[in-house]
Amino acid sequence: MKTLSLRNLGKTYFDPYAGAHVTAVHDVSLDVELGEFISVVGPSGCGKTTILNMIAGFIPYSKGDILLDGKPVHGPGPERGVVFQSFALFPWKTVLDNVGFGPKMRGVPKAERDRIAREYLALAGLSHAAHRYPNELSGGMQQRVGVVRALANNPDVLLMDEPFASVDAQTRMTLQEELTRIWQERKPTVIFITHDVPEAVFLANRVVVLSKGRVLDEIAVDLPRPRVWDDLVKDDHFKQLSARVLQMVRAA
Amino acid sequence: MNLLLQIWGGYTRLTRRWPGIAAIIPFIPVLALWTVVSEAGVFPRAFFPGPADVVRAFFTLTYKGILPDYLQDSLIRLATGAAVGMALGIPLGILIGTSRWAHRICWPVLLFFQAIGDIAWLPILLIWFGFGLTTMTFVIVYTVLFPVVLNTVLGVESVPRDLARAALSLGASRARVLWEVTLPGALPNIITGLRNGLGYGWRALIAVEMIVGTSGIGFMMFDARRAGSTVEILLGMIILGLLWYIVDAWVLAPLERVTGQRWGLVTS
Repeated sequence: MKTLSLRNLGKTYFDPYAGAHVTAVHDVSLDVELGEFISVVGPSGCGKTTILNMIAGFIPYSKGDILLDGKPVHGPGPERGVVFQSFALFPWKTVLDNVGFGPKMRGVPKAERDRIAREYLALAGLSHAAHRYPNELSGGMQQRVGVVRALANNPDVLLMDEPFASVDAQTRMTLQEELTRIWQERKPTVIFITHDVPEAVFLANRVVVLSKGRVLDEIAVDLPRPRVWDDLVKDDHFKQLSARVLQMVRAA
Repeated sequence: MNLLLQIWGGYTRLTRRWPGIAAIIPFIPVLALWTVVSEAGVFPRAFFPGPADVVRAFFTLTYKGILPDYLQDSLIRLATGAAVGMALGIPLGILIGTSRWAHRICWPVLLFFQAIGDIAWLPILLIWFGFGLTTMTFVIVYTVLFPVVLNTVLGVESVPRDLARAALSLGASRARVLWEVTLPGALPNIITGLRNGLGYGWRALIAVEMIVGTSGIGFMMFDARRAGSTVEILLGMIILGLLWYIVDAWVLAPLERVTGQRWGLVTS
């Protein structure tokens, strides 16, 4: 069952400094199934963040279609949750109020949205931090809040834009394992943008490799779950898959 | 040497327990110098009264009810001006900060009028509105407006773009983004603008009261000049400094610090 379809999606914009039109995304078609976890990898400048920003509705697209359950999307909306590389937590709100923000916008009463927020904070092991402010938390904890804030709003698709790129390597591995665990529990549909090949393979059911604004190839990842780094670093199949994707990205 | 260290340690402990004392102690040598110079009779007493004379004048004028009345007049004028200045300045700043077009149109005009300082408006205002409250209010509002607008614009522009995007993706309307993201994000800068605006406004108010006033601290000082009462002039000057110190150090600066810390702009 398809949730999200990109049909011949393209983005061209005018660069006033170069005085010319620049094409960031040429022609991208992609179908995302309900409950699927897709990683999109590619070298910098391949258009992966542009694609995510178009799906999120932050920037308009120049050609093609983006269909969510068959309906075209324009502009941002709560059915497409976003997790940002910059975390983008509201610094003047407590962790609880950050996570309850989506329900608040839907008009859910305070008591109920606090209950929802607490449930999701528990999912990420953050119950103790409910009344703290974002700048009191470590980067890893802030991004956990960023993930559950998006999840608490029950989006049809979760869009993640290099969410773990700005945390340290050890924390990143923990966050990746937690994300796979949460994904298995809740089965949200996820599009995960990254330039980190092992990360892409570790998390996804399917890795999409982009190059110069086009889809170069897709690789199905049939590794069993739950996935943990201690096992996978020694796993030959994981190494093979990663090597294949890495070759493609480097050749791209 | 040891004694000096002990005094220093004692002073540090004392000011940590009562921070107010740290604000008073630096004025002790100033007061002492003032007393010595005036008592020594270097200058004629009528030109250079001592602290005791000023304190006596303070009690006399308070007893007569002149000082409380004038002080109240000045403070109400400042408060009114600040309130109107904020009511105009914050929405204008948000408009300019959020709309590229408003920015292009308003910014040059804003800088132009900022250059025509408060007092430079007085000649034309006196012709238009005469010696009265309208003229005074105009000048205060004018003075408060610019720091508030400019800092609000700065604040709005400093809110990270991802915060507005996050709010939109969580289902917020544009109006909710303004209320939930833009305003709180700009608040530390708005408070900075208010702090500057009140500081300039306080000074402008005294100047205007001297010229057009019929009451107020500025008027009291200028009127005292006519009567040759140096005591009242000095009293007025001291009140200006004290009052501003209280408002700025005890209200505005802590407010600025608290929002700055909470917002993660300042690391405590």
